[in-house]
Amino acid sequence: MPRTTAVECPGCPPFRALTFDALGLIKGIEARGKEGGVPKVVERWGDPDASKCVLAASIDDRKTDPLLAVARKSGRVSNLHFSSPVLVVPGQIEVEVLNPLNGELSVTVSIVNSGSARPEDDAIVGLHLFRRQRLELTSRSCTLLTCTTKGNASIRSVEMTDSPADSGALKTWSVCASGNISCSQVDGSESYAIFGGKGVEVNMWDLDKCTKIWTGKPPPKNSLGIFTPTWFTSATFLSKDDHRKVVAGTNSHQVRLYDVSAQRRPVISFDFRETSIKAVTEDLDGHTIYIGNGSGDLASVDIRTGKLLGCFLGKCSGSIRSIARHPELPVIASCGCVCMHILHFGKLFFAGMALQLASQLVLFLGLDSYLRIWDIGTRQLLSSVFLKQHLTKVVFDTNFTEGISRRVRECGVGGANNVMVLEVKHSAADSTLHEAQSIGEVQSADETEKLPTKRKKSSKEDRGSRKKASKVKDGSKKLKSKKRSKSLENEFADDA
Amino acid sequence: MGGKRKKGESEGMEGDNDSKNNNKKMKQKSEILPSSVKNKEKRSAVHAKLKHQKKVEKRKKLKARDAAEKRALELGEEPAPKQIPRTIENTREADETVCMPDDEELFAGNDADEFSSILKRDRTPKILITTCRFNSTRGPSFISELLSVIPNAHYNKRGTYDLKKIVEYANNKEFTSIIVVHTNRREPDALLIIGLPDGPTAHFKLSSLVLRKDIKNHGNPTSHMPELVLNNFTTRLGHRIGRLIQSLFPQDPNFRGRRVVTFHNQRDFIFFRHHRYVFETKESKQSDSKGKKAKDAKGESIAKEKVVARLQECGPRFTLKLVSLQHGTFDTKGGEYEWVHKPEMDTSRRRFFL
Repeated sequence: MPRTTAVECPGCPPFRALTFDALGLIKGIEARGKEGGVPKVVERWGDPDASKCVLAASIDDRKTDPLLAVARKSGRVSNLHFSSPVLVVPGQIEVEVLNPLNGELSVTVSIVNSGSARPEDDAIVGLHLFRRQRLELTSRSCTLLTCTTKGNASIRSVEMTDSPADSGALKTWSVCASGNISCSQVDGSESYAIFGGKGVEVNMWDLDKCTKIWTGKPPPKNSLGIFTPTWFTSATFLSKDDHRKVVAGTNSHQVRLYDVSAQRRPVISFDFRETSIKAVTEDLDGHTIYIGNGSGDLASVDIRTGKLLGCFLGKCSGSIRSIARHPELPVIASCGCVCMHILHFGKLFFAGMALQLASQLVLFLGLDSYLRIWDIGTRQLLSSVFLKQHLTKVVFDTNFTEGISRRVRECGVGGANNVMVLEVKHSAADSTLHEAQSIGEVQSADETEKLPTKRKKSSKEDRGSRKKASKVKDGSKKLKSKKRSKSLENEFADDA
Repeated sequence: MGGKRKKGESEGMEGDNDSKNNNKKMKQKSEILPSSVKNKEKRSAVHAKLKHQKKVEKRKKLKARDAAEKRALELGEEPAPKQIPRTIENTREADETVCMPDDEELFAGNDADEFSSILKRDRTPKILITTCRFNSTRGPSFISELLSVIPNAHYNKRGTYDLKKIVEYANNKEFTSIIVVHTNRREPDALLIIGLPDGPTAHFKLSSLVLRKDIKNHGNPTSHMPELVLNNFTTRLGHRIGRLIQSLFPQDPNFRGRRVVTFHNQRDFIFFRHHRYVFETKESKQSDSKGKKAKDAKGESIAKEKVVARLQECGPRFTLKLVSLQHGTFDTKGGEYEWVHKPEMDTSRRRFFL
């Protein structure tokens, strides 16, 4: 009998995420509907152009006036006001460069490389859009931290005025003398940053004073006297409030926990599978991390003990490039070649959902061009979206309700290139937004009473049965895959 | 039992409708499953009888269909459309990654990929063929045949160099691809195709290799540029593999050479064949008919124009199956895979990736 794969995708709670890919496209993905929404690509900004390949992205998803910063291969950081997609079209950004008169809300920053010549050699690897400083400053400017492969880090503030970007770099410094930076991360309070890379130990910088406050130390040689060269591929802070605990993944498939206040060597270090770790993301609870590797395995690990909690199985065939944890929903997303920013849900609606669901969303992107959405509690694949290109990053947009997004799109479509017009529309949208929320309150009260109970039942059942099954399965699968990869290695032992 | 069957058959002769009804009744009555009979002799007898019945029915059905078609043709009607057999391929599971011709992102992606400079003829392909460290018997002869198939291919001994070093060397010498033939127990069993300078790396399992000298009536290829046929590469991954293979061959075939290299994908297996073809005007039969019957001139002239294409296989023949596709050049430790086959992906016989 032919076995069939009716992939039961339970669908996911409503969310909104943005993915960035190798052709420089930005895609907005939304799941609608209270129960079992199927995520779809709802927006596509930009024209496919390989020279505009997105390298890094950062989002500030405030309630009002959210901002998105995108670093492209051509060596420019473009700043998008993403509630108005009109301004996001890369073609227009180029126009702005040529014609300084219409550089409105979006800003293009050209990063001048001091020293090295071509931007291809010194690509941007880290980008962070500051939230804290934005609050203090006027709403028409923002602050960015960028870091390039060669270790040139800089903080610059960008005025989003009508005049072209005058990107005065506030501070510039060099993170490393030699080696290549491949990961950088800014902590929750936005006063510390970590950098790491090939030949560069994890090091922490105080962003206010621009001083290095801590450097990691490689683990000692092993019992055979073999020293594995330093090569960090990903790093993250373990929790939002605490900048002292850092998790890093290495090219030699090791995951390490550093405690800055304790010692320079890793506190815990363990191996995960056989290919290099490509993405590490922390959970909100401060002790769970999600790791993804080069052959498409995604797992959650309790970092306090280094024990594997479970793997996310979902036919993921390509390297995992980016993992995003939804700040409220129990969902993660991952991409083989994709990155996502997950957007917030509307508050009222969300509160209802959150009460009912104990699980959470994770997104991840992979080189196999899929964006996958998982439930954290059950480790069940909720949905996957095929996005055609090699993906590079994913972020959640957390301020998302169905009503809002629709309105934003309308205003985006109608919005002229004029700041005035746009702003009027914004305020109009805001007022209608409030109305909608108050109306939505009544509705969502009903809905949350009815619908989520259903959800609760099914998810509970699922979880109960699945947990058992997944435990058994995980064990056997792990064994199998180990065997397989070993045999693969043997095969190529001659070649290498 | 025997008596019953006879009865059923005799009734079947009376009319179609009746026989159908009777057959149904019969089945209900004589539904003795062979598996429920415990005596082996009886069981095999029941089984044989069932089989025979089925065969007879099938033949009857075929005959009736042929007759109906003939009748339709005679009456000048449209014959009933031919039934298409259900195969694993045409009942393939729906796959959202199958490429559509109107997909603008696909073409933009193709323009930007690693092979576009070769396929647009900005670079001419130059291939380095090498082996694993130990190589004997069928390995070298397979390589010598590959050299005759792929134009502008060069063989270098592997020595004890690391593959990463070889990639570096080939980059310096401006090769566009590397093919590594891996042998195990003196039998080629894997093929690694590395695109240069920045990937990708495809790892294939190689099986059922037949060398030229083992093919009956084989031809010998000329040095003309071959034509390339790539069949059934439908999905995104398939397209990428297709383009990787395409980039091994020069993009200007010489049609005078009448030489064709085929990569045919069927159920994720890629079949390689190498042929020479010829267009022949069939004259032998016409001369026969001339000598025997001396028909009218019109018929002859029409018959003369009839051109028949004939194929001659040149070899080698082999089958490839994709194991993994890696982003970038060969790097087993830190590499990122675009696609790896995992056992959990084998959920159905009808799910294909290329």
